[in-house]
Amino acid sequence: MRIHLERRLEARRGHRALVTVLSVVAALLLGAVFLVLTGRSPIAVYTEMFRAAFLSFFGITDSLAVAIPLILTGLAAAVAFRMQLYNIGAEGQLYVGAIFASWAALALTPGMPNPVAIIIVFVFGALGGGLWILAPAIARAWLGTSEIITTLLLNFVALYLMRYLIYGSASFWRDPTSTNFPQGKPIPEEAFLPVITSTRVHLGLAVALLAAVLLWVLFSRTRFGYDVRVVGDSPGAARYAGISVPRTVIIIMLISGALAGLAGAGEVAGIAHTLDPNGLAVNFGYTGIIVAALARSNPFGVVAVAILLGGLQNAGTALQSIPGGGGVPVEVSYMLQGAILLCALAGELFIRYRLRVRRGLPDELVEDDNRSAVAEGTKP
Amino acid sequence: MPDMPPAVEARSVSKAFPGVIANAGVDLSVARGEVHAILGENGAGKSTLASILAGLYRPDEGEVRVNGEPANFGSPRDALARGVGMVYQHFRLVERFSVAENVLLGDPRQPILLSTRRAEKTVTELGERYGLPVDPRARIGDLSVGEQQRVEIVKMLYRGADVLILDEPTAVLTPQESENLFETVNAMTAEGKSVIFISHKLSEVLAVSHHVTVMRDAHVVARAETASSNRRSLARAMVGRDVDLSVQRAGEAPGEPLLELEALNAAGEGDTVPLRDVSLTVRAGEVVGVAGVSGNGQRSLAEVAAGMRTPSSGRVVVRGVETTGKGPRAARRAGLAYVPEDRLGTGLAPSLSISENLLLTHPRPFFLKRKEMDSTAREAIEQFEIRAPGPDAATRGLSGGNAQKALLARELSDGPEVIIVASPTRGLDVGATQAVREILDKRRRAGCAILLISEDLDEVRSLSDRILVLYEGRIVHETSGEDANVEDLGLAMAGSETGGN
Repeated sequence: MRIHLERRLEARRGHRALVTVLSVVAALLLGAVFLVLTGRSPIAVYTEMFRAAFLSFFGITDSLAVAIPLILTGLAAAVAFRMQLYNIGAEGQLYVGAIFASWAALALTPGMPNPVAIIIVFVFGALGGGLWILAPAIARAWLGTSEIITTLLLNFVALYLMRYLIYGSASFWRDPTSTNFPQGKPIPEEAFLPVITSTRVHLGLAVALLAAVLLWVLFSRTRFGYDVRVVGDSPGAARYAGISVPRTVIIIMLISGALAGLAGAGEVAGIAHTLDPNGLAVNFGYTGIIVAALARSNPFGVVAVAILLGGLQNAGTALQSIPGGGGVPVEVSYMLQGAILLCALAGELFIRYRLRVRRGLPDELVEDDNRSAVAEGTKP
Repeated sequence: MPDMPPAVEARSVSKAFPGVIANAGVDLSVARGEVHAILGENGAGKSTLASILAGLYRPDEGEVRVNGEPANFGSPRDALARGVGMVYQHFRLVERFSVAENVLLGDPRQPILLSTRRAEKTVTELGERYGLPVDPRARIGDLSVGEQQRVEIVKMLYRGADVLILDEPTAVLTPQESENLFETVNAMTAEGKSVIFISHKLSEVLAVSHHVTVMRDAHVVARAETASSNRRSLARAMVGRDVDLSVQRAGEAPGEPLLELEALNAAGEGDTVPLRDVSLTVRAGEVVGVAGVSGNGQRSLAEVAAGMRTPSSGRVVVRGVETTGKGPRAARRAGLAYVPEDRLGTGLAPSLSISENLLLTHPRPFFLKRKEMDSTAREAIEQFEIRAPGPDAATRGLSGGNAQKALLARELSDGPEVIIVASPTRGLDVGATQAVREILDKRRRAGCAILLISEDLDEVRSLSDRILVLYEGRIVHETSGEDANVEDLGLAMAGSETGGN
């Protein structure tokens, strides 16, 4: 008897959702092994995490607050995935978005009405993110340079730039009164995002949801979205139809960068109210890639997955301090996040193949094409 | 050897895939030393049968026998161990590896330390013996498609195949390469090997095989000795009705010039051949055929004429409007349609649906009108008899003929007066070929100017009012369709000076 992988003739929609759900379950089981090994009850820890993330008012709102930047960075990654582009640089684009947004808040908004100030802050955030991806976009569009490498490397440039502005120099962003530990200058209240009373859920949530809806409309209902799909699917067909491939690549990458920049602006104006390098460098950009992959680049899926992962992160932090958490380290939530992604990528195999148990001689895994199932995992 | 068991045999083999019965009670018997053709339209079940014989699929019912003994193949490797090897339509070669390395690849008999040198020697020997010249050290990626096919055959021979299954082997070959392949096939059968030759091309089957088994809709519908068959009887068995592939030519004199190419020169882009001083005119109600061996500038000609590429000199004029290098959209606005040879990947975006693909070359509003797209697609599916699950089906799932119909449906839908078609029936079965030719003929009668670029000389001859021959990017021969002489055309296609006039 032998277990045999057989290629499915077509992937069904229901399968995809099922595989995503099963990946989460499998990841929880994997995590349970580690919890048991460290002498904790997985059921108790998971119950506590779920409670902390989603069952109390403040749990939910804190989870949502974490989900806001994740929705935006998730959309940033998803937009690029749609065209088989891999923007790994949402992290850096978020930093630069934050730098631009905080500059605008500090330099432009004092004395302005709140709504105008908010618009300016978001516009500058988007500009910063877009600017940070401009060079990779141009290099990709006309020279064919891998955007994976360029966007990734620029993350480190952005990180050190941001740190330099606060920790390394007496820059415009640094608060001159913070002599002991360098900090960013607080932005004026005119630029604060409104929040749901006494929670950390800020206006960025509306921006993120609006972005998801607009992207969905863009991709499924407009000419530009159509062109993007043609270019992503078949550059030969795009050339034949007279669709400019470089132009489409650049626009999509700029949208992607701008979305990540919006996330940075939201963190500055909605949460930290200053340019806070430590608070920003918590992998929102990288987690956004996980979000987009799990959501299979569907904008609404991104929203759902971002809330789930936001809850996971929030619970991880909460567990440390909650009495019932028993001192569970915050790393558990990161481990679960990684496990979910791995399981989802592995689950991709079952979307494309099915397991058959049968007797007889050993079989070869028959592949009709050379693409591996795992490599497909991050594609839309 | 009267009582020799058949080299390979299928006994009432059935195989079903979800929603499709591919083989229903199929019997096949291939004798030692014979070329046995399996003839049938696309989707008739030929490839499934071949894949069962080669161990890729298992039959749901029935059995396979090799040399009279039951063979229960679990994999292609099992089949090869019993001497049955298959060359697939899509080659299974590693592009970065050399020929010899590919031949060694996956051979279970190899020791842990591979000896490429010995393999190189064997490859050369096999090549000489069967007329398959190939440099064992060449990288696969550097070889032409025809050469790659030779490597696949050598690989099977190296692995000791006594029964070689060739799945549509000539689909990727030039006429000359096909001739060479037939010689190889004969050399193999002369040594007692058997060849199963899968094809939907009648002339090839008649030329190369000893016996022919005709399949239609998963069943075997005819079995015959090739010597006692003819085109008509085989075509009828294959399609299930009489087919007419006779010459179609315009009766009337052509009208005004609609497509004018003047002294076009264009650099070769990528692997395409440059154009040299090409001038031609296509008039209303006329089909001008451009014949030539593949890779002599056909693609450059089509792309320059369709506005996809800018020539270095010369002019393209569509219905009196100059469109030289103004992009494909400008050419279409002037009334030109282009049906490229590469259907999926150029003409159609494979993962987009039929309804979305029907929009590809048409002006699109900023907001797409899904309902309108859907009804347009339904009309096209009905009018062009596209066999598809529905308007939302991805075009990659369509058969060659149905993809071509979808492509034609789009390109002909807004009444273009100038139509450029490249190899419109390549890879299509008889029924679809006939349908496509009728569509083109109807357009000609309606007064369209059609530039037909094709490597299939029969097709060019049967449709064209005038024939040009393209050789190394230059037009070297011109004749009227009626006066076309196969020998002259063949010589011109081969670049012979005497071919020109």
